Amino acid sequence: MGTLFRCVGLIFLCSMANETTSQVRTVVIYDNAATELRTPSPFTQSKDLWVTLAELKRSAGFVVKPQGVCRSELCFPLPKQRKADFLEQQGQDTWFNLSEFARLVKQPVAHDEKLATWCFGPRPEAQNGYLATLEAPNFTLPDRNGKLHSLSDFRGKKVLLITWASW
Amino acid sequence: MKDASPWIEKANPEYLALIDEQHLVTKLYSMVNVPTAVWINEQGKIVRPNEVAFVDDRFKSYSHMDSGPYLDGIRDWVAKGERSSFVLSEEQLKKRLTPVGPDRLMADVEFSLAEYLYHAGHGTEAIPHFKQAQRLAPDNWNYKRQAWLLSDADRDYGTNFTQEVQKLNGKPYYAPRQMPEPANKPN
Repeated sequence: MGTLFRCVGLIFLCSMANETTSQVRTVVIYDNAATELRTPSPFTQSKDLWVTLAELKRSAGFVVKPQGVCRSELCFPLPKQRKADFLEQQGQDTWFNLSEFARLVKQPVAHDEKLATWCFGPRPEAQNGYLATLEAPNFTLPDRNGKLHSLSDFRGKKVLLITWASW
Repeated sequence: MKDASPWIEKANPEYLALIDEQHLVTKLYSMVNVPTAVWINEQGKIVRPNEVAFVDDRFKSYSHMDSGPYLDGIRDWVAKGERSSFVLSEEQLKKRLTPVGPDRLMADVEFSLAEYLYHAGHGTEAIPHFKQAQRLAPDNWNYKRQAWLLSDADRDYGTNFTQEVQKLNGKPYYAPRQMPEPANKPN
């Protein structure tokens, strides 16, 4: 069996983290990557997450263009009558309401207010997109030596993707 | 990485073993427990979706399934490829693969936030988010078992693995597999 196809096993890991104390700064988790924001928000009374356009690009990869809020080929137009809900000028900076944008594109968001941490998940159509094509969602993960491997590296071979854990 | 490596080193598998610290595969494939397997063909298409995939019978008291038929199925697929009776048609696959709804998507993001907080040294603050993920995706044992392991389950969650399995009260811990009838088994 092992000569005819490759098995990809995945171990779910829980590693112990050291307790640390640090000043609370806003953290944005987008596409599973965490970014600590550098610019303190002037929107101190807002329940939403406002970020500068530079932080928007750094944390979520989006750029505001005339046609909408874009990342690579993907652009989401902002409703013309609601632009003020998303964009606001404060001094030198233009600020963008990232949590309102998530509501616009139906993206799930979890928030820990005390630790000023925001986590954004995939849009439903992104999560469920593979159901139409049946193409196995790609991922890239490290082996125990830290070398990265992608599912797409195994095109041309059968893959048994099997997950287990040490719990 | 440091927790998983000794297991992989000891098992010394012939296949590639990867480490998924963020449960990415659980989320991408909407898995709910381990061991779960997916069969993917040479073109990168799913030909059998999520199924319980034990390679022996040591946990049969939980699975209530023999591992043999599943292993036979894998061998049949390897030998016959798309002609294997274990390969599902597009219509069958689309029946089994259902879209993830808003609760599961929200559970995934709460779980991701909880894991981030835990690894950032905020274990106590992570617990409400782990609980929210468990509430939104009550069938997801990955989210229960991982959260319980990161703290004292009895103290912080008022339960533990044994109690939760007992609460199933006859309902299967693992979803039963839907394999072809014996007549279609490999020669």
